[in-house]
Amino acid sequence: MHSPYSIPVLHNTIRIMTPFLFAAIGGLFTELAGMLNIALEGLMLIGAFFSVIFTAFTGNLFLGLTLGILSSVLVALIFGWISLYLKANIFITGLATNLLAPGLTTVLAFQIFGNKGVIRFENIPNLTHITIPIIRRIPLLNDILSGHNFLVYLSWLTVIIAAIVIYETPFGLRLRATGLNPRAIESYGLKPRRIQLAAILISGFTCGLGGSMLSLEMGAFVPNLTAGRGWIALVAIYLGSKRPLGIVIASFVFALTESISNYVQGITSVPADFILATPYMVTLLAMIGWSVWQYYRAKE
Amino acid sequence: MREITKYYVESGVLANDRVSLEVKDNEIHALIGENGAGKSTLMKILYGLERADSGKILFRGKQVSITSPRDANALGIGMVQQHFRLIPQYTVTENVILGIEPTKRRILLDKGRARREVSAIAKKFSLNIDCSAPVGDLSVGQMQIVEIMKLLYRKASFLILDEPTSVLTRQEIDNLFGILKSFKKQGKTIVLITHKLDEVSEISERVTVLRHGKRVAVRDTSDTNPSELSRLMIGREVALHVERPELARGKPVYRLESITLREKGRNVPLLDRVTIEVHQHEIVGVAGVSGNGLSELEDVASGLRKVTEGHIFHNEEEITNLTSIELREMGLAYVPADRLFRGSSLQSSVTENMIICNHHYFIKRGILNGKKISQFVRELTEKYSIMGEPDVPIGTLSGGNIQKVILARELSSDTDFIIFAEPTWGLDVSSSEFVYRKIIELRSEGAGILLISSNLDEVMALSDTIVVMYKGRVVMYSENKPSLTKELIGEYMLGLRDDFREVQSVKDSRGVQS
Repeated sequence: MHSPYSIPVLHNTIRIMTPFLFAAIGGLFTELAGMLNIALEGLMLIGAFFSVIFTAFTGNLFLGLTLGILSSVLVALIFGWISLYLKANIFITGLATNLLAPGLTTVLAFQIFGNKGVIRFENIPNLTHITIPIIRRIPLLNDILSGHNFLVYLSWLTVIIAAIVIYETPFGLRLRATGLNPRAIESYGLKPRRIQLAAILISGFTCGLGGSMLSLEMGAFVPNLTAGRGWIALVAIYLGSKRPLGIVIASFVFALTESISNYVQGITSVPADFILATPYMVTLLAMIGWSVWQYYRAKE
Repeated sequence: MREITKYYVESGVLANDRVSLEVKDNEIHALIGENGAGKSTLMKILYGLERADSGKILFRGKQVSITSPRDANALGIGMVQQHFRLIPQYTVTENVILGIEPTKRRILLDKGRARREVSAIAKKFSLNIDCSAPVGDLSVGQMQIVEIMKLLYRKASFLILDEPTSVLTRQEIDNLFGILKSFKKQGKTIVLITHKLDEVSEISERVTVLRHGKRVAVRDTSDTNPSELSRLMIGREVALHVERPELARGKPVYRLESITLREKGRNVPLLDRVTIEVHQHEIVGVAGVSGNGLSELEDVASGLRKVTEGHIFHNEEEITNLTSIELREMGLAYVPADRLFRGSSLQSSVTENMIICNHHYFIKRGILNGKKISQFVRELTEKYSIMGEPDVPIGTLSGGNIQKVILARELSSDTDFIIFAEPTWGLDVSSSEFVYRKIIELRSEGAGILLISSNLDEVMALSDTIVVMYKGRVVMYSENKPSLTKELIGEYMLGLRDDFREVQSVKDSRGVQS
């Protein structure tokens, strides 16, 4: 904590963590319902694109955000319907979603703005930044935790709500049971597919939020804006042992490496590409480490 | 239930043929019959898991329509199926409340109330169970109790239990029966599906007997006895006749010697010192009620499961615990009971299924010779009159045709010993006859055949030697003679007799007379 960089690095970590957190929490629902949802990445990108577009068109941040989220929920609905009711392999449909999202956003961007590259919007309102009153007097915490935009705090709230839904409601009980034994669920007179579809829609909702944060924060849309964050979120679900708190920790670690690499870029002569790759390498190493750990735990 | 009829189109089985069942309020009613007699189908119809083709259901005097378990639950009807439907990672309480969870403030789970309500049920019916333990940690007997608690929590007053004792130990059965008796005192009605006759007299007041999808008798338990029930269940007449030429048996080709099979965590062996010998020109039929070691015998004989003790010989060469590939190379063939998953690869084509074991004959320079294969397949398709194109997935064929493909494959290479397990299960009459003709043909050609079947008619019609298994042991081993009546074999199958030596002497004395 003595380096002059440590506080801004941590402050940024909290910000960077938010999209991971949103996507991973939504992915937790699908994971618990027994589905490997690789579409997180695509859903985030859809949310990122449409929320910034709609905000620019309407000039209203709240309306734009809502419509952006609805777009990714709609894509999630199609993805879920094809996977669950038309019985397509969910891995393939997830892959299709991930291929569709960059294609669709690029085509639409070109059609609307005649531009396949970065699209800047001048009229995007700044995301409201919030100061947390309680910790205002605590110097370190205030510097790190306070002063973020409202989506950051919404992501924390989402984690808490998700934990309550998963562990404290009938829906959560049924959701987890679906992942554990869908046939048993049927014998209880419940419909596993309906529960799974609900989980996919939830993941669409949170991925929409996570994607929106990326684009609205910059007031711009960049092709492939999500840059694999959906995939890292998927890894965070496993590293977090499929628990909300674990996911928070895993997301924090990924965000921290990204935040550090952003700073290190400016102060060393190590090639920037290499430094920017560190979050992905950390993901890879964490994944390998986790598998090894699981293997030995299973052996005991 | 009146005149219930259920025909399974896919398998062509008439599971229930105008079956009626009357259960009185507050009685324990036993529903008995052999495997495939239609007991489970009838109860699945009552519980809404299957729909009857015709007939009606009257419940407390009113005609009702039950199309799903939810409808049944609404009427207070609950069923424990043979295979548990539990979430092992969940606690007893969570398993019981799942689907109709108590809530507080409309959306939150009321865990306190759930715990209280579930323990209240446990207490009311004196069920000795730890409601906060994960179900996966419980014994099988306790899991059974959890299944029953699910029904009680749903306020079921009419309980159907499908062979609840098949996986329980004696103490667990006593415990379960104690619970069922206390249910009766509390005014509940119970239907118990079983094929164990001692249980019928132990617990039930009335008993309905099904045979081949028909109701054959209804009795007050006090007015009947196990041997009458056994006769009713199995029938007097052998319903099947197969022309079997007289043949002197040749030298032994296959011998199971004192085979014991144990499973971890089970005190009782699944197979207990089983000795069976098969000769050339001989069909040895092993009969038994399911759950008494037939499928384990199949697994061991086919090399899919290693024996714990004992030896297996093929032409005096030891083949104990060889893999199934090694057994095939020695000329053993195997037609499995589970023809859909073990016997064939459903998504693969008919051709691929036919050459899967012997494709090395068709390989030329590392590549499968398509011409030779299609010729081979065409020959077999004609010889076995298989209805189905060679290129379609085998899963699209009817059960009878799938079985023919498997037979064609298994019998296409030279073999002197074949295991047939439940070879006609679920097949229609003409396919069954085809299978029987084939088995007889193989016997005439000099092969030894081990026929493992829970269909006693089949065993009696085909076998030269009959073996009966009960609780993993051979309880009867005899030449197939007219003196060996269906009734007598039935009593061995159901565990009413355990005096093998006496039968042999009966057989021997008859042998001297004739």
